Amino acid sequence: MTALLLPLLAAVPVMAAAIAAMAPWRIVGRLLALAVPTVTAISGLGLLVHHHTEPVVAAQVGAFIPGVAIPIVSDSFTALMLVATGVVAALAILFCDLTGEFARSRYFAPLVLLLLAGANGALLTGDLFNLFVFVEVMLLPSYALIAMTGGWRRLGVGRLFVVVNLLTSTVLLAGVGFVYATAGAVNLAALAGAASEDGRVAAALGIVVMALCIKAGAVPVHGWLPRAYPGTSAGVMALFSALHTKVALYAVIRIWATAFDLDPAWGRVILVVALITILWGAIASAAPFDAREILAWQMVSGVGVILAALVVASAPGGAIVYMIHHMVTIGALIMLVGAAEHIYRSDRLGTLTDLWHRERPLAVLLVLAIAALVGLPPTSGLIGKLEVLSAAVEPGTVWGIATVVVVLLGSLIGLVAMLRLWRGIAWRDVAPGGESPGKSDDDETIGPHPRIPARLLVPGGALVAVSVALFLGYGVVAPEVDRAVGGLVDTAAYVQAVLGGPEALTSTTVGGVS
Amino acid sequence: MILAIMIGVLTGGGVYLMMQRGMVRVVFGLGLFSHAVNLILLTTGVSAWRTEPLMDSATPAEAADPLPQAFVLTAIVITLAVTVFMLSLAVVSNDDDTHAIPDPGDRPTAQENDTGDGADPAAKSATGTTATTTGQERDA
Repeated sequence: MTALLLPLLAAVPVMAAAIAAMAPWRIVGRLLALAVPTVTAISGLGLLVHHHTEPVVAAQVGAFIPGVAIPIVSDSFTALMLVATGVVAALAILFCDLTGEFARSRYFAPLVLLLLAGANGALLTGDLFNLFVFVEVMLLPSYALIAMTGGWRRLGVGRLFVVVNLLTSTVLLAGVGFVYATAGAVNLAALAGAASEDGRVAAALGIVVMALCIKAGAVPVHGWLPRAYPGTSAGVMALFSALHTKVALYAVIRIWATAFDLDPAWGRVILVVALITILWGAIASAAPFDAREILAWQMVSGVGVILAALVVASAPGGAIVYMIHHMVTIGALIMLVGAAEHIYRSDRLGTLTDLWHRERPLAVLLVLAIAALVGLPPTSGLIGKLEVLSAAVEPGTVWGIATVVVVLLGSLIGLVAMLRLWRGIAWRDVAPGGESPGKSDDDETIGPHPRIPARLLVPGGALVAVSVALFLGYGVVAPEVDRAVGGLVDTAAYVQAVLGGPEALTSTTVGGVS
Repeated sequence: MILAIMIGVLTGGGVYLMMQRGMVRVVFGLGLFSHAVNLILLTTGVSAWRTEPLMDSATPAEAADPLPQAFVLTAIVITLAVTVFMLSLAVVSNDDDTHAIPDPGDRPTAQENDTGDGADPAAKSATGTTATTTGQERDA
């Protein structure tokens, strides 16, 4: 029964997008865009509880026999991600509403709803080609969103974003083709363990993983992310940061756990890439003069931490916890900076300045969010970093020690970058932007603007509260993460649910090698 | 063999065009590359001629594998949609030079804190030096 409802998580947003596009009243689109991610998060919670009794739920679309049908699968990991993306997306859309994105364009609501449909579908699908389709469904509205929101750079970065993402999708498609050629199936359950048994399948899946890493923004193919994201508006950037890179990382974790059996030997390449990504992102985040560009570089650094935690450890628990923490924290920071940017019309360090005196509530929330990003209590940052470090130390290899050193070094450089951000936008006497406002012309620099209304702080503040709640109530979340890790490490239940048992794994149902 | 050479030629041409500055050439390059990938997908089935994969007219032994064809069909539709969108992106700003993307730290030379008065969306001049307003987009 639950299985039949699973495809609705992707279908309902699509229908909502159609309704929002056709309805003559904009309020319909606004309400739908706020309701759909909320319902997604609630459904994710429901699934999370349901998975206590039934670990994996699979729906065979079109009622074909298992192995031929496209499976829509949910386990604890999927449900956790649904909750996390739903919460962050709902708050990001609320922020877009508060900053007037819905009023600016009639098609904002349908585009956002399509974006959510693609993200939900990509999280739920158990088929590599279907993953490509849902990633494209997610990207197509993003192209439009990036071209119609944000600042004066948007058309230039829109081209960059579209070209990079289409090229990457094409590479992903080529990888899927090679997987079909070598393994005879693109169903993830049918591919379980295939990469660790057959080198050709591993090479084909390697192309898929590489394409997903480009979409996630790993060094050396990260350049599009910190150029494209700050070009959009803050609300859309928060939405993208919660959905795009994290869905790609989700797919990497899923493929890594299922097809590669978390084989550390294959992980060396990714680990080197991930460690460079951590340092590169952290160092580069200490250079820009725009607050949101600093945050975009921090996103790159975070992607490195998630990838490193995935491939260095024997279980992906650290990666999952850090991914959820990172979604919440970066979303909070982008929306807090975005709230100040919306009122003061600049996010440039030194131009946007003195927030500590002008906007005390915002500054306090900003301190908490920065603490979360660098890994200080009382926020989820400490939990995330601890899980990553303990996962890295556990195998006791040289690679694990290297990971610990690099992650700590990356945090330290990140702290420096965040202090620079804080000095630039929250204090008055330092102006790293080059402008040196004197004591008298300070008001001239910023202008007589009204104070930031409290409602603009609600989405960012709520995410900061989520981060603190994750720290205080981690005992509630930890068993769910353990259940998700258990499902990823032991894929027998997943395969059983999707393919209907080992006896179904014959050439007639899965498709023979061509 | 012909298919393999064809894929190589298409990929090479696509990569060459993608290295060009003009947006239209980049779009054509992506088109060539996606055709190469479509051929890759087709070759994952058997590339020799086989009968239609219909239940009544052919046995599985002589029927073609329908799955790669379904893949290619889906991929063509998606690529077409994105190609049209990219061509429109190439048109809207009078100049299709993709290297004219300014660094994120750069700002328009004037009007940085302009509150905006219903000005047009961002437009770029041929040299990459840019003058526009940020105000309207950031306005509530």
